[in-house]
Amino acid sequence: MRGTAKKNNHEIRDPIYAFVHMDSSEREVLNSVPVQRLRHIHQLALTSLVYPGGTHRRFEHSLGVMELATRIYNAVLENGETDILDIDGKYDEMYYLRVLRMAALVHDIGHAPFSHASEDLFPRDCNHEAMTLRLIESDEMEKLWAMLKIQTEDVAKLALGRDHPKKKTFSNTEAILSEIITGAFGADRMDYLLRDSHHTGVAYGRFDHYRLIETLRVLPKAYEDRSKEPALGVEIGGLQSAEALLLARYFMFSQLYFHPVRRIYDIHLREYLQAWLLGGRFPVDVTGHLNLTDNEVMAGIWRASKDPDLPGHGVAKRIMMRNHYRVLYTRNPDDVLKYREAGLAIYTAASAAFGEENVRHDRPKIPASQVAFPVLEPDGRIVSSLLKSDALRHIPEVAVDTVYIRPELLDAGRAWLNENRENIIKSGSELEDTA
Amino acid sequence: MKQIQRDGLLFELIDELTDYGSWCGETHIQKATYFLEAMMGIPLGFPHVLYKHGPFSFDLSDELASMRADALLEWEIKPEPYGNALKTTSVSAGLKAKVPRTLARYRPAISFVAEKFGTRGVKDLEKISTALYVTKEAPGRGCEARARRITELKPHITLDEAKEAVCFVDEMFREAEPVIREIE
Repeated sequence: MRGTAKKNNHEIRDPIYAFVHMDSSEREVLNSVPVQRLRHIHQLALTSLVYPGGTHRRFEHSLGVMELATRIYNAVLENGETDILDIDGKYDEMYYLRVLRMAALVHDIGHAPFSHASEDLFPRDCNHEAMTLRLIESDEMEKLWAMLKIQTEDVAKLALGRDHPKKKTFSNTEAILSEIITGAFGADRMDYLLRDSHHTGVAYGRFDHYRLIETLRVLPKAYEDRSKEPALGVEIGGLQSAEALLLARYFMFSQLYFHPVRRIYDIHLREYLQAWLLGGRFPVDVTGHLNLTDNEVMAGIWRASKDPDLPGHGVAKRIMMRNHYRVLYTRNPDDVLKYREAGLAIYTAASAAFGEENVRHDRPKIPASQVAFPVLEPDGRIVSSLLKSDALRHIPEVAVDTVYIRPELLDAGRAWLNENRENIIKSGSELEDTA
Repeated sequence: MKQIQRDGLLFELIDELTDYGSWCGETHIQKATYFLEAMMGIPLGFPHVLYKHGPFSFDLSDELASMRADALLEWEIKPEPYGNALKTTSVSAGLKAKVPRTLARYRPAISFVAEKFGTRGVKDLEKISTALYVTKEAPGRGCEARARRITELKPHITLDEAKEAVCFVDEMFREAEPVIREIE
């Protein structure tokens, strides 16, 4: 007899995990407009101008995060320790698995074109997390959550975690579940390192995620003054794979995400968008957001680069012809010891010498790498990762402080900097201590 | 407040916590910073959310990492079963020396908090900082109501522990009044 039942479980091929799994109900979320739009948002903005393979999109990343979050959740529950999560008899494992998977799938839907590169162009009091919340609460998505029998607020809390725009309070359980997506050993970080490494060819991003996931545990941070605060940690056998992830992050941040040429393209892209967008800002209504992707922006840049009468012509041409601003000054530890804001001082002085329009400054705020986490010893003791690992103690935090100058002024700029550098940094360090 | 001034105050806090016998892990710094802002009114600019075990600022966490990158703070690794604490460096001492007026203005408030926190463990700090959070959440609410709110938010804290934490915070507010007046 031939089976006539409709297929309920589906597999999507993926270059990192072979398959991503989902059921028919979840596929309706995948087919929603906000998630499908991610097919048209690059994961790494204009990185392909530096690393040509980096053209992948947030769509496949979101699928990957959902798959990894599921694997982490299953490993953590299988390994026990749920008593420290304030979980009572009402905890529904399957309910939270569903919430977690959907939160992982939609965690990036609020990104504007070119993701982080254009984050500053949201109007005041808005950012991609606020847009994500707005979309999770939109009519289209609310109907899907109701169909899946999950609460909108739960999806939003887990998807946004620490960056929830309404500054929610988090129970231990909610905090750990959101860390499964967004934390140091979260699915988001694991997936972007593996996927970005795969596509760009920057091999440093690889690590043994299979081993790491198998050894993840929810443990009290007992090493911190006998605290009972739960955190994602590892069994001792997973320490090397945790080290590998954190080293991968360090290398990828310094080699790829904060590559100086990649960063200046972010700045040029923002300049173009400011000229091209109505009022220089992204729309924040749901329809306006959903209608705008990288495709419209790239078409705009292409046209503007050829037509001097179009807004943003100069910078569009700069992007298309790869005539970006060049590095004049880059962070130097010796300068930091003299004055923490050395880059800002040099930027200010260079702007006065060469004109503000010819100089750019990049000093991004970089999230902590979180190298301290609980490690479970074979005898049941819980100790700090920093006590067990020389490697973790010595992973540097990434810091960026770069000044760029128009290419035609690079030689003059370098000569000027050689002559004035010490004085500029010294005078910056002698700022008056006034309120 | 300029960044250099805020940096100087954080280094002063870490030094004073250490001097008063605090173990000075990140949790100690997190909770003490919350008290400096929410009780003493020092505008450090670190927004806190109520996280796993009490108020927590992810911005502060990132800033502490950035200070390690700039050699302004370093890990101090304590023997098993303990772990990592943070301490200032000669570079941060040099930076502190550049903001004498700011330090003079806010030092009494920092000393007040550091003295109260110095010998307290993390578990205690989690309770009293959550007590301050619920006190600020709805000013004027009675002790019993605030204690119940704490147990609602953090089920691992018992009602008696919550009441004790609320009383401690109320008493601390009373003692802090002259110090707060001094820095205004």
